[in-house]
Amino acid sequence: MSSKLISLAEAVRRFSWDGMQYASGAALPVGSDAIIFGRELLRQRRRDLHAIFHCNSQQLNLLAAAGAVTKAECGFSALEVFGFANGLRRAVESGQLALEDYSNLAMPLRFLGGALNWPFVPATVNIGSDMQYRSAFAPDDYPNKTKIPSVVDPFSGREIGAFSPLKPDVAAIHVTLADATGNSILLGTEWSRVELSRAAKKVVIIADAIVDPGCIRQFPNLVRIPDLIVEAVVYWPFAAWPQSSPGMYDVDEGHMKFMNKALATEQGTADYIRDFVAPFDDIDSYLDMIGRENIATLSQSSTSFLLDPYRKWILSPEQIAEHAAELAA
Amino acid sequence: MSASLDYTRQEIMAIATGREIRDGELAIFGVGLSMLAGYFAHANHAPNLRSMTEGGVYGATPVGGLPWGIECNRISSNATCFSSALDALGFLVASGRCDVGVIGAAQVDKFGNVNTTGIWDGEIGEKFRPPKTRLPGAGGANDIACGAKRFIIMVTHEPKRFAEKVTYISSPGYLEGGDARSRHGFVGGGPSAIITTLGVLRPEAGTNEFVLDGWFTFSSPEEIKANTGWDLRTSPRAKVIAEPTREELANLRKVDQTGALRK
Repeated sequence: MSSKLISLAEAVRRFSWDGMQYASGAALPVGSDAIIFGRELLRQRRRDLHAIFHCNSQQLNLLAAAGAVTKAECGFSALEVFGFANGLRRAVESGQLALEDYSNLAMPLRFLGGALNWPFVPATVNIGSDMQYRSAFAPDDYPNKTKIPSVVDPFSGREIGAFSPLKPDVAAIHVTLADATGNSILLGTEWSRVELSRAAKKVVIIADAIVDPGCIRQFPNLVRIPDLIVEAVVYWPFAAWPQSSPGMYDVDEGHMKFMNKALATEQGTADYIRDFVAPFDDIDSYLDMIGRENIATLSQSSTSFLLDPYRKWILSPEQIAEHAAELAA
Repeated sequence: MSASLDYTRQEIMAIATGREIRDGELAIFGVGLSMLAGYFAHANHAPNLRSMTEGGVYGATPVGGLPWGIECNRISSNATCFSSALDALGFLVASGRCDVGVIGAAQVDKFGNVNTTGIWDGEIGEKFRPPKTRLPGAGGANDIACGAKRFIIMVTHEPKRFAEKVTYISSPGYLEGGDARSRHGFVGGGPSAIITTLGVLRPEAGTNEFVLDGWFTFSSPEEIKANTGWDLRTSPRAKVIAEPTREELANLRKVDQTGALRK
């Protein structure tokens, strides 16, 4: 298979458009997420996105704060111990963004339904609560009968719910390690990246590091996203910053708080975009923007040992360029 | 505060929650204070507790203080399994295997229904409208409330948080009370306790209305009733709750290294 390595700018140009259903993974509020893809979505001025995020992350927080999202579906919409997501909150409270609520199990179940091409997924959670009776997408319909409609279990005769399956147009999925064709190894919890990768119509892998194919052949059991379903691979170190990537870098506590505070206001968001979305031209200037000392500190993670078995296969930027050229030839 | 021991209301809330968790149980904790309560139980009296997070991180204990999130380095550096949300909340909770869960609440009502979705000015009304203040949403709490054999609600005791009826049910308690849960066939049994910064409430047999079961030494039934938004009845068994022991406090503070509960 030939190399699928492309630049971040090209990935966003080719795989995003206004009004699309855009999914990101893992999207744990503090962990691995393809946040760099969201920064580039703003740089290319994408609008009217329908965001499918298992959980809010700083990416959705930023996209919502910037007014790029009109609809979102989420299982959890804050930033865990960092508190409420101020940008998303502002967009929801002002009515600019309709946020459809589900739970953290409902979202992967809906991905699973999309992946298997099921007509619906039996729902034994979210029923009997206002997540079933209230819909931000159909606000006039109460009690709502179309979001999680009631169905009868044909075996027991008992009334349960039906979840609608999800098949997002594109999923940008953050992984720790990928080879140039898209075989991916995820350190840390999968969260729902496996189901999402099979549910999405197109998958773009955003990898913190690119490995030699020998790594993939050594650990095929650990490849949770195979190249068979991957359209493109973007190499981008610190792609989840300021969130964490287990084995690679810790959560940047200072920037998490700074960013969330900035996104609380329109002016703060404009300043944040000026200072942390617009300025970089390539990976080097992106890492400069984060700060080289900060990078060194964040890389000294208590989880670093998780990366040890894979280190010898990690390619340098020069090797990645050569490798891509070889595969292309 | 105690004359002999110095501790905060958040700390006794965490300890009282931890006391609800028994050795050997399969338990799930959300991020934040409920996680500290769960890992306190593990450190204090439940060494064989089988703990998991909804993010699919199993077997781990926090390192360096309260984790910022489920995938934070503070909870990912000594795990024995990295799995997934479908595994944790689905295979291990929705299946009916999970013994106990701990969840938080912005608002709770007399039947133990929990709102973590938003604060509206008054009732929502027929037409759904954005909340005045948007809250974090259900997360895994709805799944725990539907699927865990029992769950414990941890919440700061203030009148605005203790409502006759929550504005929005994010996670189901006993719904309208009695056996209302059976209408939906939930595999989980419902909330077994509401542990607060002032005391403990438990569901009354039959009605499943929460009644006062105990108060802390610095609190009183009168103070708890004054801070509860419904006409709280007192269980005939209600009594003062034992103060934390020195050992309990030491074990809690080992888990809460950064002092999140002392702020």
